[in-house]
Amino acid sequence: MVVPLTELDTGEKGRIKDISGERRYLSRITSIGLNVGCEIEMLQNVKSRPLLVFGRDTMIALNRSESKHILVEVL
Amino acid sequence: MADEIKVALLGQPNSGKSTLFNTLTGAHQHVGNWPGKTVEKKDGYFVHGSRKYLVSDLPGSYGLSANSDEEVITRDAIAGEDADLVCVLADASQLERNLFMLADIAGIRTPLLLVLTMIDVAEDQGKKIDVELLAKRLNIPVTAIVAPDKKTYGDFFEKLDQALNHPTLLDTTALFRLFSEGESKALYAEALELVPKTGIDRFSKEWLAIKLLEQDEVVSAKIAVKAGIEPVRKFVSAAKDGALYAGDCKFAWIETVLDGVAVKTKEPSKLLTRFDRAAIHRFWGKPIAIGIIILGLIMSMIAAAPFMGVAALIPSSLGSLIGRLTDFGVSQDLISFINSTVVLALSWTISMLGFVFGINLVFGLIEEIGYMARVSYVFDHTMSKLGLQGKSVMPMLISVGCTIGGAAGTRVVDSWGQRILTIALVWAVPCGATFAVIPTLATAFFGWGGILVMILLFLIMFLHIFITAKIFGRTLSPVAERTGLIMELPPYHKPRWGAMFMMTLNRVWEIFKKAFVIVFIVSVLFYFMSYSSSGDVEGSFLYRVGRTIEPVTKIFGLGWQTFLAFVASMVSKEAVLGVLSAIFAGSGNIFSSTVGIAKADANLASLVTSEISKPEALAFMVAVTFNVPCLMALSSTYQESHSLSWTLKIALYYIATALILSMITFHAARLFF
Repeated sequence: MVVPLTELDTGEKGRIKDISGERRYLSRITSIGLNVGCEIEMLQNVKSRPLLVFGRDTMIALNRSESKHILVEVL
Repeated sequence: MADEIKVALLGQPNSGKSTLFNTLTGAHQHVGNWPGKTVEKKDGYFVHGSRKYLVSDLPGSYGLSANSDEEVITRDAIAGEDADLVCVLADASQLERNLFMLADIAGIRTPLLLVLTMIDVAEDQGKKIDVELLAKRLNIPVTAIVAPDKKTYGDFFEKLDQALNHPTLLDTTALFRLFSEGESKALYAEALELVPKTGIDRFSKEWLAIKLLEQDEVVSAKIAVKAGIEPVRKFVSAAKDGALYAGDCKFAWIETVLDGVAVKTKEPSKLLTRFDRAAIHRFWGKPIAIGIIILGLIMSMIAAAPFMGVAALIPSSLGSLIGRLTDFGVSQDLISFINSTVVLALSWTISMLGFVFGINLVFGLIEEIGYMARVSYVFDHTMSKLGLQGKSVMPMLISVGCTIGGAAGTRVVDSWGQRILTIALVWAVPCGATFAVIPTLATAFFGWGGILVMILLFLIMFLHIFITAKIFGRTLSPVAERTGLIMELPPYHKPRWGAMFMMTLNRVWEIFKKAFVIVFIVSVLFYFMSYSSSGDVEGSFLYRVGRTIEPVTKIFGLGWQTFLAFVASMVSKEAVLGVLSAIFAGSGNIFSSTVGIAKADANLASLVTSEISKPEALAFMVAVTFNVPCLMALSSTYQESHSLSWTLKIALYYIATALILSMITFHAARLFF
């Protein structure tokens, strides 16, 4: 099942299938370590807070609205 | 010195780059700005063996794309003709993610040294790294250190020499092969066709092609000059997923490089500690952050106490020492001049340094531990409305205690532009001294209505912050460059008290030298402006100016008396009561009232209420609250911004807005009183 990252619940794991957005966003998200194929775990997903995911050995906070364009396959 | 070697430090945030820079250069640092840019430039030097190393601490970013001025400056500095060596730093405990910087620099033909930091943390987590194998695969020297611990630097210095004696370039064959064999190989081949065959300066053709693939605006513009605007534009618009492809290739390369190099010997322990669960909690996160900041403020005050003690003793001890100069025939006037300028400037500067020291030490440690990133996370939603990152909430809270500390606290804010914006907003927060002065006046004029005055001031504060954020944000945090939060919350680290203590002390000494001069000059100016041979207010230059321009100040609702007090409040907020007292009760001259030597008259309340109308009083309170906070806050702002022009811009803006607010208040209040 493929869903936007914002719909991955706290504690769920997923693999990034696709990221879309403008160039700046793509290069920023890639340079922090999140790219297609990367496995992540949702650490916290609560309203009006940035998402908090665990990926590539660290915790990463991500803006909510931009994260809608990250599609993940729920594992 | 035989050789001067230019070394640049490059690394992602939290890679230990600044720690390495501070440990290497110690007190030999210079912090300024890149010419014409809102980006901080940190340089320093150290001597090792027969060489003098000029080190520059490049701005921290996650990569080398043209996303910000920081990144463009960084890559131009790396590829500059005079760069002898670039040290790429990578956190050994998160090597895969941190090596992205190395993959991004690949193809820039500058010799490299890879420095793995936090090797102790990696070992704790059961990650073993084969440094030799890594060096062989990359074809550059690799060394592992614990950045805050200079005892671990032995191998670093050896490899540094090796890298300089036998400069080598990173082996990029495997990386570029991935690009030319992957699924978007056609696009990459097309990019290679567009770029100059020999590259541009130190940027190789492959590096340029990859950046073109990533739709990098700066590189596109450069290539367009050579290959023509139309073909480049056509290519770039076709390369929609180029950035993703480049990211995939880079991480694929990192994975092959690290295969067999980094070995996990045990699984990581729990991802979130119990403290972290609370620190990021949706209800508890904010109260915990505010609690920790307040606790930090209290600790800072304790750390500042020794400085404060010394500062408080200076006027009496040094003053009486200078007083003895009369025995040598020095005139009383000269002695009083020295006491009122040099001695006072010394005392004030030292007490300011107390704040700066305490705040830098305590919040520097909280930052080093990794907690400030959590604050950034929980306050991101709130502060982003002002164009700021979540961390900016800390200086603003500190400002309720003291604006000097608030300005000093902005050091934890990562980008220079946002730091200056935060300072500009921090000034609008009424400080402890304002809370000491305004309620006294408010109660004198309005009795219980004084509470309403305080509420009014808070409402104005929110409006002020909102408007100031809009005005200053336009250049300091342009909306077009504002991006949603993408930030690492690093694992907690053990704080290094000793290293942080020494570093802060070093820094404070640097600040002292500069700040003392500023405070001294302003003291002298103010001394002469308020000097009166008779000792009465009427004899001073300020009085004559105040009287002359009274028709103008009246427009803002201020008579010459309140206007004088308004001017004095720029030097110190506590001055207001003393100056009013000097004017209305003749309890001393303006200077000594401003600098706190003369105390406010006991009957001040009844005196001022009979002399000042209610609308004027209200306008005055607003003007004073939102005036330049104090001379030391001004000085502290200059220290943090290292930009005289921005410091003056902020100061003039505050004087102007205080007067405008005063005018509005005065005319509005006249409708009621």
